[in-house]
Parts: sequence; structure tokens; C-alpha cells
Amino acid sequence: MKGRLVIATAAVGALAVAGCSSSSSSSTTTSASGGSGSGNTNCTASVGIEAPITGSVASLGDEQLHFAELAVSMDNAANHTKITLVQGDTQLEPSQAVTVTQQFTSNSSIVAVVGPAGSQEVEAVGSLMARAGMAFISGSATAVALTSGSYSTFFRVVSKDSVQGPEDANYIIKNLHPKALMIVDDQEAYSTGLVSAMLPIFQAAGIKVDHESVSQKVTDFSSLVAKVTAAESVVVLPWQIAANAQQFGRDLAQEHKNAVIFGTDGLFDPGTFTITGSYVSSFGPDITAIPADASIVKTAQAKYGSFGTFGPPVFAATHVVDEAIASVCKAGQTPNRSNVLAAVKKTNEPTSILGQPIAFDSHGDLVNGKFFLFKITSTGKYQLIPN
Amino acid sequence: MGFFFQELVNGVTTGALYALIALGFSMVYGVLKLLNFAHGDLYMVGAYIGFFVIQFFGGAAHVNIPVPLLLVIMFVLAAGLVGGLGVAIERFAYRPLRDAPRIAPLITAIGISFFLENSALLLFGAQYRIYNTSEFISFSSGIQIGSVSIDSVQIMVVVLGAALMLGLRLLVNRTRLGKQMRAVAADREAAEMLGINVDFTIAATFFLGSALAGVAGVMAGLLFNQVTNTIGFIAGLKAFTAAVVGGIGSLPGAMLGGLLIGIAESFVTGYISSTFTNLIVFGLLIVVMLVRPSGLLGRAQLQKV
Repeated sequence: MKGRLVIATAAVGALAVAGCSSSSSSSTTTSASGGSGSGNTNCTASVGIEAPITGSVASLGDEQLHFAELAVSMDNAANHTKITLVQGDTQLEPSQAVTVTQQFTSNSSIVAVVGPAGSQEVEAVGSLMARAGMAFISGSATAVALTSGSYSTFFRVVSKDSVQGPEDANYIIKNLHPKALMIVDDQEAYSTGLVSAMLPIFQAAGIKVDHESVSQKVTDFSSLVAKVTAAESVVVLPWQIAANAQQFGRDLAQEHKNAVIFGTDGLFDPGTFTITGSYVSSFGPDITAIPADASIVKTAQAKYGSFGTFGPPVFAATHVVDEAIASVCKAGQTPNRSNVLAAVKKTNEPTSILGQPIAFDSHGDLVNGKFFLFKITSTGKYQLIPN
Repeated sequence: MGFFFQELVNGVTTGALYALIALGFSMVYGVLKLLNFAHGDLYMVGAYIGFFVIQFFGGAAHVNIPVPLLLVIMFVLAAGLVGGLGVAIERFAYRPLRDAPRIAPLITAIGISFFLENSALLLFGAQYRIYNTSEFISFSSGIQIGSVSIDSVQIMVVVLGAALMLGLRLLVNRTRLGKQMRAVAADREAAEMLGINVDFTIAATFFLGSALAGVAGVMAGLLFNQVTNTIGFIAGLKAFTAAVVGGIGSLPGAMLGGLLIGIAESFVTGYISSTFTNLIVFGLLIVVMLVRPSGLLGRAQLQKV
């Protein structure tokens, strides 16, 4: 009995050694072919996209998905890669984003992720992504804390709120001259982060600030609007649900309040938020005004109709991932999470769809990012305000 | 002073909504001693029905029938369909558990709530559906008294809400059906022995309570413009609070509780801060329960020995 056990163990050990030898010889073969410069010509990989495809901001999620698909198809054609996009619908809910991320991290063919869209979602999934060693690039999450070092594989192609908050606050002070204003957060990380950035600037300028707070689930703003005084000529809404801001604007009109709404990038939704005279800041430029983007604009409009500023940053994020995968393949390697992450960190694009270079600092932030300001006209059009 | 009255107008409007939903809670509790946690979701279904009626008649910007007729169709359809849904829920989910331990129908009610919420999600998606009320009811059709603005929709909600509450009170106190409902609420077995069709009476109670929730849903859509599958949860919770504060099982109590909750929310938002609204409203519930456990207009339950 003992003898048979020894033989069986030896046989298993021999098989294991044989297996290791053959895999190491495979990798040697791969390295050797890489070294000769021919690269990995069968460049296949999957990229996950986490976006609010359904839910309260589905129009933005749809736009993000469309631009990700456009980027993948254009990059596959240019780089001769076979990258496939795997969709994950987060509905802008952190709990949903966690479920999608768990699905993605357990799918070994997915080497990187674009998204998620919301800062609170990034907070929910950041450590999962880090544990899986998966690079994830957001085209819209702007909360400052996201790049404090907690999420080592997180990147973003947009500026953070420490840029948006002060820029918006300074614009309000210099151009709208309020003696008093109301600022209402929606109790989410994105919103409270922006309020924290803007509040000290308003107070330092001597503006009387009424800071209020309502949940995203609230739809009745009549009592809050009644509180807007005649002196409060601006109401700042750093919100994510454009439909809520639209209702707030309606209540302002119904109660004959003259305050102007100033929204942040979460309200950029020309199909939903159309209160005339309102301002909306955005991390994304109007790419229809960038000559170099003319062909992308034409293709996107032909395929998907009109779009706002949420799609182009996701195009940029997807392009970063695609180029990272292509560079790994050119080096003769098979794309995996580790080498794609390393390639993303080295990203250095001199131009992009956003009209600016893309490179990341050591925290994952976009180097030299900007914010853009729009005003809503009487026809509902978002008109860019020049710097 | 204008600010005080503006907040009062806003509070009474919201309170009327809560009162209509709370009435359904109280009616069902009265006859079955069941807290129907699916009741808030019936309000949600009513809101969706109103939205789709608007779309059927051309959409908010291009309504192709007179607006008063549109409103009547919205309210009648919501009342009828949601009332019918309430009857169906009672027949298939609660009736079989009538003599089961009280926890069983309670758990079922929670299950029905999730079922309705997720059915709406599957059928209608998670996108907000927007009534765009101002496209067919102009703001200028309201009234302005000094600095107090009262929207025509607010006037309609309060007037219709008051009329429905009065109508229900008359039905319960002055009609044969009402007498049967009171008899079943007092003692189901005795009512049955006296020849009252208990099943029909309970079904009628569910129909009426659910119809009121459906009407409240349409009102909410007109007032707040947005409908999504989750609006029933918070509204149901507030209406439940209103019913308990007023005295669960008491119809006048439900009306009073609804108005109190609506006004409290409005004044807390206006005079303290919107951050504290839910804290204070639910704190009010706790205080009332400690001071008067049967609610403001409820009667202490006598235990037979």
C-alpha cells in the first residue's frame, strides 16, 4: 500500500514538473518572438465599461456607452486589434457598481475597465479593482478624494472638483455678484465634495451662504424654494440628477423667485435640464468646436444623433485603454491586467479628443485638466462661455 | 408673514397627498388589522398610469383633448385600475392568510411591495418619467396673494383631496357599505354571523383605499413632475407615519396625521434646515407614540379577558 502511494505521488510530481516546463518553454517562446520585434499579432482582449445605461441618468450612460463603442471600433481598425467591449449597467448606484465590478474582476478576459461614472461608485469599487490589479479609468468621476492614494489602479481623464469647485465659485463671485446665495447638496460624495470646495471661497468673499441638503430621492422642493430669499440671487446645485434640478427650476418659477441656478457637471443634460438662464459647468469641452475632432463628431452624430459632454471623455478613456493594450501587443506580450495597468500609467498622448494632452500624474489625475462653463439659452441650447 | 403662509400652503398640499395615502393604510388596518406595506407602491402605479395617459393623448406639449377632460381621465383611470389592483392583491395574497398568524400577511405585504417595485422597473425601466405639467397647466393660472404663490395644481390637489376625504367619511358613516365596513372592523366574526358578506366588504375596502392611493399618485406626478419605480417607498413610509400619528384605524386620524406630517416637513425645511426634515418628522412619530400610543385620534385597544 505504502509503495503504491509513493509511486502515485512520484507520478503526480513528474506530471507537475512536466507541466511547468512546458509552460515556461511557452513563455520563453513568446519572449523570444517578442524580442525579434514581430509583436503579438493576435491582439485580443476585453475591456469592461461601467456606465449608468439605465436609471435616473440613463441618457448620460447611453452617451458614454456609445462613445466607448466608437473608440473601440476606431482603435481596432487603426491598431489591428480585436478588443471587445463588455457592458456593465450600474444605474449610478454604488451597490449596483459593486455587483458589476465583481462580475468583471472574475472574468479573466477583461484586462481593464472604463468607468464607473459617479464618484460614489468609484469609492464603492476602488478597492475591488485594486485587489484585482485592474486599471479603471473614469470619464466623469470628479471627487477630489478619489486620487488620494486609496485606489491605486484608478485614473481619470477629467479634472477633479478641486479645480471645478474653485473655478465655479470664482466665476460666480466675479460675474454674478451675489450678496447672498443658497447652495444645496444632494448628500452624495460628489456633491458634498464640491460644496466643501466652494463654501470657503464664498465665505471668504463675504457672501452670505445658506447651505441646505436634500436626498437625491426627494422630488418635492417647494418648501426649500420658498426659503430662497430675494437677496439670494444664485442657487448652486452641485447635483447629479438633472430631472431634480429641472423640478427645482420649475418651483423657482412657480414661486416667482428670480434666483439663477448654477449647476455643476452632473447637471449637464441638454435633454432634461433646460431652465433658461442657468449655468452648467462641465469637465468636457464642446468637441463640435474643436476642428481636429470633425470626423469623430460627424461619425458620432450620424450614428447616435446629438450628444453632450459626457461621451467624449469616455472616448478618451477608452482610447487610453485601447492604446495600452496595443502597446502591450506590439511588445510581443499577451495583454493581461498587470501589463495593461503598467502601460496605462505610462500614457503620454500629445493630443486627444478633449483638445488637450493626456498624461496621468502619480495619483491617477489628468495632468493640466480644465473645466468649461455653459449657459442655457431660451431655446434650451447650452452655449459655451469663453474663458 | 408671507413666508409663513407660503410654507403653510406647501405643507398643506403635501399633507393632502400623505393624508390620501394614509387613509388607505388606516382603512385596511381597520378591517384586517394588517399593515399593508405595499400601499405606497400602489401610489407609484397610479403615478405611472397618469404619465401614460398624458402620452396617450399626445404628450405634455401637444395634449389633443381639453385639459380638464385629460385630468378627469387620469384620475378616474388611476383610481379604477389601482383600485382593481388592490382588490387582486387582497384576493390572491392576503385572503388565504386571513386566519394565519399576523406575521404571515405582514411579510407577504413586504413581498408584494418589492414585487410591484421591480415589476414597474422591468415594465417601464428605471428612467425618470416626466409629467411636464407646466406644458399643459400654466403657472400663471394660479393665484398670488401678496408674496404667497398658490399654483393651480396645488389648489386642485387640496380641493380634490378634501372632497375625497369628505366623500369617504360620508360613505363610511352614512351608507350601508360603510356600516358593513365598520361592523367588519369592529368584529369580523360577529359581522359574518349577522349575514354581512365579509369578503365583499373587505374587497370594497381595499378597492377604495387603493383607489385613493392611485389618485394621490397622479397628484404627485402633477405636482412633482417625476415618476420612477422607487417613489412609493418614501411616500408609503411617510403615509404610514401619518396613519400611526393620527391613530391607526381612524380615518379622521389619518387625515390629521397626513396634514401634520406635511406641515411639519414644510416648516422644518423653511425655519430650521432641510437636513433635519426627516429627523424631526420621524422624531415626531416617536414622541407621539411615547405620549399617546394609540395616536392623536385613535382609541386605546381593549383586551378582552
